[in-house]
Amino acid sequence: MDLSRYHRQMLLPGFGEEGQKKLLASRALVIGCGALGTVIANMLARAGVGHLVIVDRDFIEITNLQRQVLFDERDVAEGIPKAEAAKRKIAQINSQVEVTAIVDDLNHSNIERIAAACDILVDGVDNFETRFLVNDVAVKLGKPYIYGGAVGTVGMSYAILPHTPGMGSAWEKAGVATPCLRCIFEQAPPPGMNPTCDTAGVLGPVVSIVANYECVETLKVLTGHYAAVNPCLLHVDVWANTTKQLKVQRAYEVGECICCKKREFEFLAGKFGSSTTTLCGRNAVQLTHHPDAVGSHRLDFAQIAERLKSHGTVSVNKFMLRAELKDGGQPYELTLFTDGRAIIKGTKEPTVARGIYAKYVGG
Amino acid sequence: MADTVTVRIPAALRPQTGNQESLTLTGACIGEVLSALTAQYPDLGKRLYKGPQQLNRFINIYLNDEDIRFLDNLDTAVKPGDEVAIIPAIAGG
Repeated sequence: MDLSRYHRQMLLPGFGEEGQKKLLASRALVIGCGALGTVIANMLARAGVGHLVIVDRDFIEITNLQRQVLFDERDVAEGIPKAEAAKRKIAQINSQVEVTAIVDDLNHSNIERIAAACDILVDGVDNFETRFLVNDVAVKLGKPYIYGGAVGTVGMSYAILPHTPGMGSAWEKAGVATPCLRCIFEQAPPPGMNPTCDTAGVLGPVVSIVANYECVETLKVLTGHYAAVNPCLLHVDVWANTTKQLKVQRAYEVGECICCKKREFEFLAGKFGSSTTTLCGRNAVQLTHHPDAVGSHRLDFAQIAERLKSHGTVSVNKFMLRAELKDGGQPYELTLFTDGRAIIKGTKEPTVARGIYAKYVGG
Repeated sequence: MADTVTVRIPAALRPQTGNQESLTLTGACIGEVLSALTAQYPDLGKRLYKGPQQLNRFINIYLNDEDIRFLDNLDTAVKPGDEVAIIPAIAGG
């Protein structure tokens, strides 16, 4: 294979032809192909990561183009799935890279099979439920997992080189394993608690910054530079001009993490996380949460209504919130109950309903 | 004399603090500083705590970039000029 296109990268200390060949022989799973995922897929393809597996459940719409760098107006007009559009674009960027596009909802029944064939899991996800699922798989299989998240003008990134007792991973031997995501965030924020990119907005550059940090860590891992991996949780607010390197290393030794210490994979077992039921004859999907994941938390309807009002008509009473939304040109009616349960009218597809919920309610 | 520290409020919780990005508060330990904060903004208290002296598990508090869970939690002592940051998990992407 002609490596000349990677010349500037191979010049870097510790990289060389050897590092490039490692990249070309690698397979990375890009989970979610929205704002973070498009930047990640773009950069990893240009860097010559030989095989990208891109999973996304969504279609492209015009409001994506402000930040989702692999897509253009033609993709919106054609209404093609994000994963397929990314594959088509990457074929034009770097034909040496093979792309597998998976247009599906990543969930506890399919993630292990998809992740097992990959060397690293890279986060372009828009919700915490999926992240904890990815974290479970990463720890169970001993795969590096690069977390990233962004909303508004704030972003975070963190590289998980999971503790792999008895599995003899290279990073464990080098003494640079890091705490997992659940060591740091013990619990996902309950539904409706935090703003999402679709309700609070998001600045394109902050997404790009976070995604590129994720790419840096991915390139370190795939070229075997484990000792160079940042052990801190990076936190940036590009509007407040703050950058923090949060020290989280002690989380594993001091903490009692259910995932990476006790090795109980609750999300992978389907114990937590939401479940969906297609409501027969109603063109609607009901989405319910596990009681333990919600606890005594009750949704703050006033705050959610405030966030949703720019998307359509919102009405609230003591028992429920109802919003008429347009997503990708399609009308949906979202009905939310105080315990986080939702009925999404306008689709029979659980995948579409989960997407709507993640975008407009969050969790 | 209690010590003065700066508390950084994340964007997601600013509706509960009248849109203030940071506040100067006094207290000898993190628990006292947060009590002073939530006394001033009771709605914020409902977001931070799930019970008396029990923070919600999806909220992390950092003292000068160190997670207080791995220091002395709410009993962690503070000194003048310290920075306390409330950092929720970021879900977007």
